[in-house]
Order: sequence, then C-alpha cells, then structure tokens
Amino acid sequence: MTAAANRRDRNTTTSDQEGTAQEMTTALQQTGGGGGASGGLADVIDSILDKGLVLDAYVSVSIVGIELVTINARVVIASVDTYLRFAEATNRLDLSSQKGAGMPELVGDTTKGVAKGKTRGVLDAVGEKVSDALHDKREEFERREPSRRRKGE
Amino acid sequence: MAEARAEAQSPEEDKDTVCYVYGIVPADVATDERARGVGDSPVETVMQGKIAALVSLIPHDTMLGQAEDLVAHERLLDLAAAETPVLPFRFGSVMSSEHAVRDELLAPYHDEFLSALSEFEGRREFVVHARYVEETILREVLTENEEAARLHERIRAQGEEADQQDLVALGELIFNAIAAKREADSHTVAEAIAPLSVSIAPRDPRNEDDAVNIAFLVGIDHEQEFRAAVEEIAENWTNRVGLRLLGPLAPYDFATSRTTPEE
Repeated sequence: MTAAANRRDRNTTTSDQEGTAQEMTTALQQTGGGGGASGGLADVIDSILDKGLVLDAYVSVSIVGIELVTINARVVIASVDTYLRFAEATNRLDLSSQKGAGMPELVGDTTKGVAKGKTRGVLDAVGEKVSDALHDKREEFERREPSRRRKGE
Repeated sequence: MAEARAEAQSPEEDKDTVCYVYGIVPADVATDERARGVGDSPVETVMQGKIAALVSLIPHDTMLGQAEDLVAHERLLDLAAAETPVLPFRFGSVMSSEHAVRDELLAPYHDEFLSALSEFEGRREFVVHARYVEETILREVLTENEEAARLHERIRAQGEEADQQDLVALGELIFNAIAAKREADSHTVAEAIAPLSVSIAPRDPRNEDDAVNIAFLVGIDHEQEFRAAVEEIAENWTNRVGLRLLGPLAPYDFATSRTTPEE
C-alpha cells in the first residue's frame, strides 16, 4: 500500500505500516467480539456507492458511461427469516447457558492491548467473513449500462 | 510533477482511454507515483487554479465494480483524506478526458470546490459502527419484554414441537425490541459525541443486529478527545456491543453535491 497523496507543504508520508483507514481501528474492535458481516468491503460499499459528490450535478456533456456492476442498496428488512433466526438464536441461548458457555472465546484477546498487528489480524479474519457474506449478496448484482456519451459525438 | 505529465499528454489525447475521477483536492497535493486506483491504474492529478482532481486514465471499455475496484477507490480517497481536505466523488465517476475534467469540471466550479475544500480543512470523517452481541442483547430483551419472555417459555416447553407461529411472533418481538434499542443507543452515542464533532450524519443500519452506525466530522484538534469518548462508550458496553471506529475517512457523508445541475 502506498500513500495516495501527500501534501507537499506538510512533508508527511503514509507508510505501509500505518495501514489504511479500515485497519486503523483500535482495541475497540475487540471489546465486543461480535465480528460478523462488517469490515473492509462492506464498509467501502456503505461509503462510496451512494455517498459523495455526483458528477452529473456538475457536468453533462463529457460524462462517460462505463459498465458498472452495482450492488443493490442493502436495507435491513424485517422478514420471517429474520424473525426465525432471532427465535432460534434465543433457543440456543438456553442451551449455551446450561452448558455454561457464556461469552465465546472471542473475548479472550481483549486484555491483550492495542497492538496493531493483533488488531489487523482480527480485522483480516472479519474481512474474510465479509467477503463470504457479500458473496450471497452478489446474486442481487445488477448490471447497469448507462448511455455512452462523449463530447463531440 | 503529475500535473506536468498530464499537460504533456493532452495534445494527443487517447480516444481509447477515459478519465476516472476519485475526488478533488487542493492543488498543492502531489500524488505518489506508486499509488494505484481502480483497475490497478496509476493515479494522477489534473490541476486547475488552486484545486486538482485525483484521476486515473483507464481503457474506455473497463468494467468496474469488482471488490478490488471499490476498495481501491475508497483506499485512495481515505489515504488522501489522512493528509489533506478532499471532496470524494461517488464510485464510477468517469469523464471523457483530462481536458474535460479541467475545462468542464474544475474550471467552471473552481470557487465552489475551493470553498467546499476549505470547509473540510483540518476536519476528517469517522464512522462509529457497532453491532449488538447477540447473546447479551437477546437476554436483555427477554428480561425487559414480558411478552417475549412468555413466548420464549412456551416455545421451550414445546421443544421440538414448537409452533412455527410462536417462533415467528417471538422473532418479531425481538426484532422490534432491538430496533427500539438501536434508536435509543444511537441517540446516546450521538449525544455523547456530538460536542466533540463538527457535524453528525446517521447512516442506515446495515444489519438487523446493528446498534449504532453514525458518521462524525471531527476537527483534528478534537480527534484525541473524540477517540477517547468512543473508547469510553466501547468500554461501557463491553460484552453488549462490538464497536468499531473507522477513520479517518474522506468526508463521504458530508460532502454533498449542489442540488441543481447547471442546466
């Protein structure tokens, strides 16, 4: 990973070791231990697909439509499946408390501090889960082919 | 350097390439020649007056949207945001050439972009995203919600024979109870951190077990306090929510387009 842009007058560099923004979480990441479908790619999707400046608001003529694979906006929708999942999780709750399982082993590392390598390790693991989770979502991918417009055409 | 290269290229514009736009930065930003954007392309700047666009020249038939393209777009903007104000463009913004970027995007809106950049000078975006720890939150709901507790007991008594309708009803109660908790907990976080931030933008919940998903624009002077406040919340909620702090990010949630197009 390389620094994208350094301001000349500030003479700063972003080295590989410093990691990307996604990786720059702290021990916060580990306190809950929930993990699951959140991490690199899911966060990226949240940020760049429907946020930020829209070119069309400024330019009309020389915008170029390129083939874009987009992902449908993911909205939390209440469904019977979701309800059943919660109900089943509640049932499992009893089993685990009878066995005295309590909090899962994920919490084990919480006390080990803020070491960046550690955090990155955790994040990497999360990242993999995310891509698995997203894999399913990709079935909802839509192919969008905006009209191709070029200046002078 | 990069902008000089762009100048040199322009007379013989390549019709087979188009110009992917990541965002707009102050003109005194230099791109690292090792920086890579979408499609593993090099990143350049197109300068105009006091502003510059971060761009990549890519083949016109590039198909974008693979995971690595999405990540490359954001990574570039976030790395830039760590150093300088940046106005991020939505993923997939492409113009016909560097000329077009300069003459039709940067030049006409130079002052507008410059003033927007000055708004973000010394301010960066962070996102607080938290998810409930399932076991904790389910126990909380069962303790607080009598109806859920009753249903849960009945389902347990029935064991394998549990009525599907009871299961769905219980799940719905839990779903709604968690939604109410999400709302309350989001308010708690927003109120606790708002004084340390310039602006707040709630994000839509991403999962049904999301607790908090809020973007904050934070002045660099307050970042330490901000981080400490988030850390404190995380500690208070240990074993109840898994909390992540993302950032510094480009101000995706705060940079908004003019509402009316020119035409």
